[in-house]
Amino acid sequence: MNIMSLEFVLFLFVVFIGYYSVPRKYQYIILLIASSVFYLSFSFMSGIFILLTSLSVYFSTRALQRLTEEQACYLKENKISLSRDEKRLYKRRIQTIRKRIMLLSLLFCVACLSVFKYSHFILEQVNSIISMLGYPEIEDKFHFLVPLGISFYTFQAVGYLLDVYWENVQAEKNYFKVLLFISFFPQIIQGPISEYEKLSKELFTSHQLSYENYAWGGQRMVCGFFKKMVIANTFGQYVTSVFQNYSLYSGPATLIGAFCYSIQIYADFSGYMDIMCGFCQMLGIHLTENFDRPYFSKSVAEYWRRWHISLGAWFKRYIYFPIATSTWSRSLSRATLRFGKHFSSMLPATIALVVTWLATGIWHGASWAYITWGLLNGLFIIVGLWLEPVYASATRLLRIPQNSCMWQMFRIIRTFILVTFIKVLPEVGTLTDGIGLWSNIFTSKVPILSISDILPFIDLESATAVSSLTVACIGVLFMLVFSIIQYREPVRKYFNALPGIIRLVLLNFVIILTIIFGVPTTWNGGGFMYANF
Amino acid sequence: MEELLRIMMEINPDIDYEVEDNLIDGKVYDSLSIITLITNICNEFDIEIGPKWMRNENFNSAKAIWNMIESIMENE
Repeated sequence: MNIMSLEFVLFLFVVFIGYYSVPRKYQYIILLIASSVFYLSFSFMSGIFILLTSLSVYFSTRALQRLTEEQACYLKENKISLSRDEKRLYKRRIQTIRKRIMLLSLLFCVACLSVFKYSHFILEQVNSIISMLGYPEIEDKFHFLVPLGISFYTFQAVGYLLDVYWENVQAEKNYFKVLLFISFFPQIIQGPISEYEKLSKELFTSHQLSYENYAWGGQRMVCGFFKKMVIANTFGQYVTSVFQNYSLYSGPATLIGAFCYSIQIYADFSGYMDIMCGFCQMLGIHLTENFDRPYFSKSVAEYWRRWHISLGAWFKRYIYFPIATSTWSRSLSRATLRFGKHFSSMLPATIALVVTWLATGIWHGASWAYITWGLLNGLFIIVGLWLEPVYASATRLLRIPQNSCMWQMFRIIRTFILVTFIKVLPEVGTLTDGIGLWSNIFTSKVPILSISDILPFIDLESATAVSSLTVACIGVLFMLVFSIIQYREPVRKYFNALPGIIRLVLLNFVIILTIIFGVPTTWNGGGFMYANF
Repeated sequence: MEELLRIMMEINPDIDYEVEDNLIDGKVYDSLSIITLITNICNEFDIEIGPKWMRNENFNSAKAIWNMIESIMENE
């Protein structure tokens, strides 16, 4: 089922009607049926793997919960009779069993993800080593379709497993609720990756139809479709043209292509979030937000706290903090105290950041380009952390007013340029292509004689191309203005203060623009970019 | 508690820890501050703060952190 289709809009309409038609305690069942229909419409075989993952996580979390309860019960019953050492020994024994159960389920989930997503890449690396040694290469027999959303649902399932293991949440008794949590259709393709504690409260609580949720959700969906179909798809055509033929373009043309990519991916990804969060809001369900005006960030670290927030939060919670605060990290910190307090406290964080960003790169794609992309992000964050004292001294010495508008603007623009350069690296193709595009920006020998040498990918003779680009650019301008307004208050607050008739006219105007300019670009292809991850 | 306040003052002396109750949710402490805090608490009190305790509400105020330390000591 294509999300950019009338079929999907009708599907949402049926789900909406069904959700509010059944008794409220059965609302989650409608969502489960909808999620199953949605998922199976893509591939029946994929359904088997999501089922296996959910079963593995369900049974292991139930076992973990049972052991936790048994332990609490046993210790309570024998509070007086057991010595401190006996209690400790008993706890350790139970913890060992719990750890084994958790690891078994974790390995199963990660193995499923690795086989589907990384087997080609691993085999490629093995073959390159084998061929260097003069042995015949192993034939790649992994010809299967990657289950839809496997990166997203695996992370969500693993998060739930670890939360139960760490006793942060209680294991769910109802298997179908676990299955819904893992397969909830609005978030299975591109996230957000939700925590069980938050999403379960939204999914398993009954909701009553409210006008505010209905109106706000609907408005957000319209904005989402506009962002994706008009802005992202229009810019996407130019980006594809630049990325595929960058060596034929001038430096400024390549640079503009790279900036177009930044606009495209934001409009694409946040557009999807608006559609899905909007629909969920219509059902009274509040999904985790994934964006907080990321292109207004003043550093790469801040950018990653505001872009794909749920993924960053996942890595922070389940990889970064456990590594940075582990026993060996603390031992390392103690052992390096002689180099100064700053150094000893920075070292564990740095190691954890390297691992986290390596994992982030691998999660995004099985290629050296993505691994380099991840490490490059990590590098900028680490350098920023280490040089913070130097940076503070330098700005003091140069008497740069930290809060001045100009200085803030400079930092925002600098970060935007930096993240654009990092972003394009894996998107061109191989790592060599990515570096080639970077290099073309500065070394291209294509002469600039007219405006068409700066914008060669736009057919300035075609009225359709110019008008759709104009509408997309106006859309980008609105996104910028809304983001500035949103710094203080949600734009929708102002929108809802307008008279009803004006709101209706404006909404219909956006819908008409989306149909006129968005539908043709969507027909030419234009699936969601993050669905590939 | 005094020991804990000393550790926290080393991280950021400009905060009034008797009053502040939004250290994490209010983004007063960044992730590096949290790691430094955890490392120093573990070293000072000879305890283990596992991922189980990594919840915002356990780190939002000096009082919450102190309560968490006491719970860990009790559990151990």
